[in-house]
Amino acid sequence: MGIIEVKKLSKTFKVKIKEKGLKGSIKSIIKPKYKTISAVNDVNFEIEKGEIIAFIGPNGAGKSTTIKMLTGILYPDAGSIKVLDIDPIKDRKKLAYQIGTVFGQKEQLWTHLTPYDNFKFFGAIYDIPESRVEKKIDELRELFELDEFINTPVRNLSLGQRIRCEIVASLIHEPKVLFLDEPTIGLDPVVKENIRSLIKRMNKEYKTTIFLTSHDVGDIEKLCKRVIIINNGMVVLDDTMDNLKYHYLNKKIVEVKTKEKVNLDDTDGITVLKDKGYNLKLEVDITKKSVTDAIKLLNPDNIIDINISNIPLEDIISSIYKEGI
Amino acid sequence: MLMAVRNQFKVSLLSIKYAIMRELLNKVTFVTNIVFMILNNASFIIQWVVLFSIKDDFGGFGLKDVLILWGLSAMAYGFSRFFFKKAFSLSETINTGKLDSFLVQPKNVLLSAITTDVEPSALGDILYGYIILFIYGMNLKNFILLTIYGMTGGLVLTSISVILNSLSFWFSKTDVIADTGNSLMINFSTYPDGIFKGVVKLMLYTIVPVGIVVYIPIQVIIEFNIIKLSITILFTIFIVCLAFLVFNKGLKKYSSTNLMVARI
Repeated sequence: MGIIEVKKLSKTFKVKIKEKGLKGSIKSIIKPKYKTISAVNDVNFEIEKGEIIAFIGPNGAGKSTTIKMLTGILYPDAGSIKVLDIDPIKDRKKLAYQIGTVFGQKEQLWTHLTPYDNFKFFGAIYDIPESRVEKKIDELRELFELDEFINTPVRNLSLGQRIRCEIVASLIHEPKVLFLDEPTIGLDPVVKENIRSLIKRMNKEYKTTIFLTSHDVGDIEKLCKRVIIINNGMVVLDDTMDNLKYHYLNKKIVEVKTKEKVNLDDTDGITVLKDKGYNLKLEVDITKKSVTDAIKLLNPDNIIDINISNIPLEDIISSIYKEGI
Repeated sequence: MLMAVRNQFKVSLLSIKYAIMRELLNKVTFVTNIVFMILNNASFIIQWVVLFSIKDDFGGFGLKDVLILWGLSAMAYGFSRFFFKKAFSLSETINTGKLDSFLVQPKNVLLSAITTDVEPSALGDILYGYIILFIYGMNLKNFILLTIYGMTGGLVLTSISVILNSLSFWFSKTDVIADTGNSLMINFSTYPDGIFKGVVKLMLYTIVPVGIVVYIPIQVIIEFNIIKLSITILFTIFIVCLAFLVFNKGLKKYSSTNLMVARI
């Protein structure tokens, strides 16, 4: 049995439609019109204990709505949710003791308090005895390297330090499942890397199941072994990261620098992406032509330098968003 | 169950403590807010002193009765605004999706949401109530009664605000309705009930329950009556329960938002 089980989950929102201008505003008061938006539509998935899964999709795909239903913030219209065998709607409080949440766009910490005071407050929220909270803070301050700023008011912290504190606050009660909604939003590459390695360590040391939503391909590639892609409220892909790469990385990018000019046109399986005389960039569909065939076409003796790479994961994900598979 | 209630109170008190700590970051503003609120309330009494110099009686109330009426109203207002400030802007909390952070915590959402801020000037209202009691006639009985009625009045004001602000779960822009409801309560609570007759009087003991939380308590402070005391306490329990009921019902309609917000 999975630690998170979602069956036929659906959620719609009723949105008021207003025609433009003052006339439209008056009309909408007298005779309001509404449209129903299906934010989540018949979503099914199951997550096992200790997994780090990426739950991704374009803006407005239904990621946040799903995560909010899983954590008991929103009521679903249809379907069932079980997180640690608890129904978030019927037992919101019971579930809250078992899960942690970090919303990158929403602060949970009191900004005028120090991280230490905030952690103590969170300890009280989860009814943890003082001595245990102290012990936990000591453990987490070491793991998340908070010594330098644990006694500085949150409002004076950098964004990276604040996110680290937000994650620690969500771990005070030792949750079994952690929901991270865009935890690296707005962070610089160094801090992002730091947060990622901390998430990895946390998953390894505490066996915490991590449900991650992010627009950052780096987060997904470096942290997750499984990816669920949602678009227009529906799951369009639920697969391992390896499978995603294996099935969708059937195209290679070949960049070559040649001694003499090469005249190459698009052929079946080879697309010329860039031709600058002595520099060529080709896309080789390896289901139709091998990379060796492409090199033979270019004449290996004519090649000074060559670079063969995969299509970036970001492009693969973008094409899945666009095509909807 | 008892443990859960105890823990809930512990967290709510801690939340209020932290909110006070935030206000104390600027001590001068904190103190001046309190002092100026006391002076502001006192200025209204001066108007009544002038009125009583013209006429001895207003709706059966003498100057001392008006004093205690103002003292009690200020206390109720102060109690609600100091401890439950956010109840008066609950619709904004609902509309901007700020309930999210309370919904993921294992505590009562309403209590958590309304105890995250304090209004320092409201402490001036509470102190003003006790200052008035000194002028009116301080004794243990009056002190206890004023304290109880300040709390019941504050709870009723908070509950009415929660009920009206909770309409935001169903309709937009309900903050205006909530503000009007609160203003009605405050405005009526500073006049002697004897000046109101007929439908208005009926209204003051029903939909705008100033009568139950201010006029009856004044009668009890003047002449103690256990039945009248019980009426106010029972009504307070009723309206507090109703506020929780309406809020929890509305919570099922909560739609959250993806606005970027900070806890300030």
